[in-house]
Amino acid sequence: MNIALADRPLWLLSWLVWRLIPGRGAVKLAEFSFTELGSGLDMLAAVEETPRREMRARYFQHALDELRHSELFRNRARAVGGSGGRAEAVLDDLGYIDSHGIRGKTSLFQQLGEREFLAFVWVAESRAAQQFGVYIDLLGTDPSTKEMFNNIARDERFHIAYSRAELDRMIAEGEGRAASWAVLRVRVRRLGEAWLRFSRVLGDVMSGLWLGIIYFIGVGPFAWLARRTERPKLGLLPVAAALPPRELAWEMG
Amino acid sequence: MSRYVLGLSGLYHDSGAALLCDGKIVAAANEERFSRLKHDSSLPVHAARWCLSYAGVKIEDVELVAWYEKPLRKFERILVNQILEFPRSFTAFRRSTFSWLTDKLWVRNRLIKELGVPASRLVFGEHHRSHAASAFYASPWTDAAVLTVDGVGEWATTTLYQGGGEGLAARSELRFPHSIGLMYSAFTAYLGFAVNDGEYKVMGMAPYGRPRFVDEIRRVFRLGDDGAFEVDLDYFSWHWSATDSFTEKLVALLGPPRFPGEDFDPKRPEDQRFADIAASVQQVTEDALVGLATRLHRDTGQRRLCLAGGVALNSVANRQILLRSPFEELFVQPAAGDAGGALGAALWAWNEVLGGPRVDVGLVPGLGQASPDEQTGEMLSDLKAHFERLDDDTLVERAAEDVADGKVLGWVQGRFEWGPRSLGHRSILADPRRADMRDRINARVKYRELFRPFAPSIRADVAHRYVDLPAGGEQPAQWMLLVAPVKDPEILPATTHVDGTARVQTVYEAQNPRYHRLLDAVEARTGHPALLNTSFNLKGEPMVSSPVQAYATFKRSGLDVLYLGNFRVERGGVDG
Repeated sequence: MNIALADRPLWLLSWLVWRLIPGRGAVKLAEFSFTELGSGLDMLAAVEETPRREMRARYFQHALDELRHSELFRNRARAVGGSGGRAEAVLDDLGYIDSHGIRGKTSLFQQLGEREFLAFVWVAESRAAQQFGVYIDLLGTDPSTKEMFNNIARDERFHIAYSRAELDRMIAEGEGRAASWAVLRVRVRRLGEAWLRFSRVLGDVMSGLWLGIIYFIGVGPFAWLARRTERPKLGLLPVAAALPPRELAWEMG
Repeated sequence: MSRYVLGLSGLYHDSGAALLCDGKIVAAANEERFSRLKHDSSLPVHAARWCLSYAGVKIEDVELVAWYEKPLRKFERILVNQILEFPRSFTAFRRSTFSWLTDKLWVRNRLIKELGVPASRLVFGEHHRSHAASAFYASPWTDAAVLTVDGVGEWATTTLYQGGGEGLAARSELRFPHSIGLMYSAFTAYLGFAVNDGEYKVMGMAPYGRPRFVDEIRRVFRLGDDGAFEVDLDYFSWHWSATDSFTEKLVALLGPPRFPGEDFDPKRPEDQRFADIAASVQQVTEDALVGLATRLHRDTGQRRLCLAGGVALNSVANRQILLRSPFEELFVQPAAGDAGGALGAALWAWNEVLGGPRVDVGLVPGLGQASPDEQTGEMLSDLKAHFERLDDDTLVERAAEDVADGKVLGWVQGRFEWGPRSLGHRSILADPRRADMRDRINARVKYRELFRPFAPSIRADVAHRYVDLPAGGEQPAQWMLLVAPVKDPEILPATTHVDGTARVQTVYEAQNPRYHRLLDAVEARTGHPALLNTSFNLKGEPMVSSPVQAYATFKRSGLDVLYLGNFRVERGGVDG
């Protein structure tokens, strides 16, 4: 194990996830594919939205990297997970990126502005590099996946370097306090997002529980009654009102 | 003073927005073109805002905002069905009730909050009426029969209308769970493709097979003499399952399903079986649609048919309707699926709620966003691209030269298309005379399944020389919604499918002048005013919208050259 002491809890958690839960590794790769795709789309939006034209080429290069990573993760998820597995189901889920909050209705750049966006890139890429470092160490028995993470980690170093350089430039130009605040706000927001993700999982469990109770206690008796009523008619049914009254246009039902 | 109506669709799949000014289309766009999420189903906020900004109006200037369906009636259908299917509907109940209670039921509030729509101006159409309106009021006809067929709306899965001066009169309907669209989607899943995405892949796979499973499929999807049909619900599970659409009984009948993502090789017996099933499903679907059209003709006596709903995107079936039903002419609106419901809702609100006069809506291929050349040039320069700016004449000549030289072009011109088809505004173009072009583009440019065919764009005045277009099919052919037998497959082999047909797009100068000129220039070099035309995207992604997206896709694909407005871009620059 060649990883720092601070990363060992992550290593242990990852080891448990990848080794002990069958198919989880492939699902994780599929999820990474969407995360990278979301980042790629955000970077492309930044190319279009930045007022600093000199940043466009960097953002664009970064976007191409992320989109390539997405494809690498996708292919690797398929290779590791095989056909018809859970990873395939994740990859086929067209709503995944939206339903998992990877991408919002406005681009990250619009939400954060240039300074905070760069702080976000630096924090997120540093964290990803740390996480991928753990995987590289962990995946000794899977050289192909390890090699893929190695390749991606090389790109991450460029992303960390240019975003850090931009933050340093801001500091040198007298915006040190603003840059530090931006990094702090990003870190706090990431904590908040982690809490929201946890809350969401908890909420799903609780709502599932309540809806389960409602279903079996509330829906059950109706179902019993419904079975005794006539089933909907088959075939082409005449429509009661050929033209619905205009005033019904304002009704939702 | 101009009167504006905004139509919106979404929260199921393929959301969209369309803006009318005095009954004419000003702007229309699928949400996915802005969010970059394929088949984006979220509230079409981006698309709506863009439509308004394009027209230079505010939401307060809009007389009515029309949502494409009745959410409460839809929720009622879902609840009733889950009660009927107790207790196996548990998972579906948990999932759908959660999404309805937390999101879909509040569409009115969300539209008020997120778009600022005044509540008094918000109206709700009916799902199938919106589809019907999208076809009938966009058609050039004042009287026509209208058939809408899709998965499901509120309750209806199929509706028969008569359209005339008084509006759209519904005559009869088929109700959930009996649905052609859901049956086709269930077989899409059985054949290993994603539902609400891979249906056209089933259509593309069908010609590799023989319809030897028709009897089996007719046993589970029974066609009546009066145009009606009935699904044997023991074989399908869309009415009670949240995740699956067919049951083990169907597997026992037809054999194991195809795993998603597997290669398809029709020479393998197992893959041949899948192709035979695809061919059978396609044939049964065509029979069902012809039966419905025949019934509708009998009921209305009309000779013209407007077709809408997701099933109307089945270009092979559209040909069969023209050939085998008594209708003489067919109209299909380019966004026949749910995104098109936005246009339909707007047209319904204008014609039937406001009582506005019926006008030519001005339907053209490009109704979406365009980018000014100045911005494109600035962006290319900032990205250190290898590009040159050309005048109009030189641009067309150079593009034609590239095509004749065997290059694969990215072609981004004017406003992006309305609907799922690429119609010469956001296209990948190549020489259809080269037999190897299909495999080359599938494998090295778009990275998609090798069995999938490509479509030809042909100048409308000479299309009859190349394909056997059925009489009355002029309207769907211009939107690439009609398949026709190719007269000489050796002339355009890259766009001729294995069964000797092509899903042709006929190109008119009035609608698409630059693309029409390109076809002229191509003819001067190759002898044929024809191009291989496929959507400008990579597998799993929506079509490109902006120059940045186009350039990024260009860099990630095996395209040889990119035409972005008046710029010709070659490889090089950032990331080579």
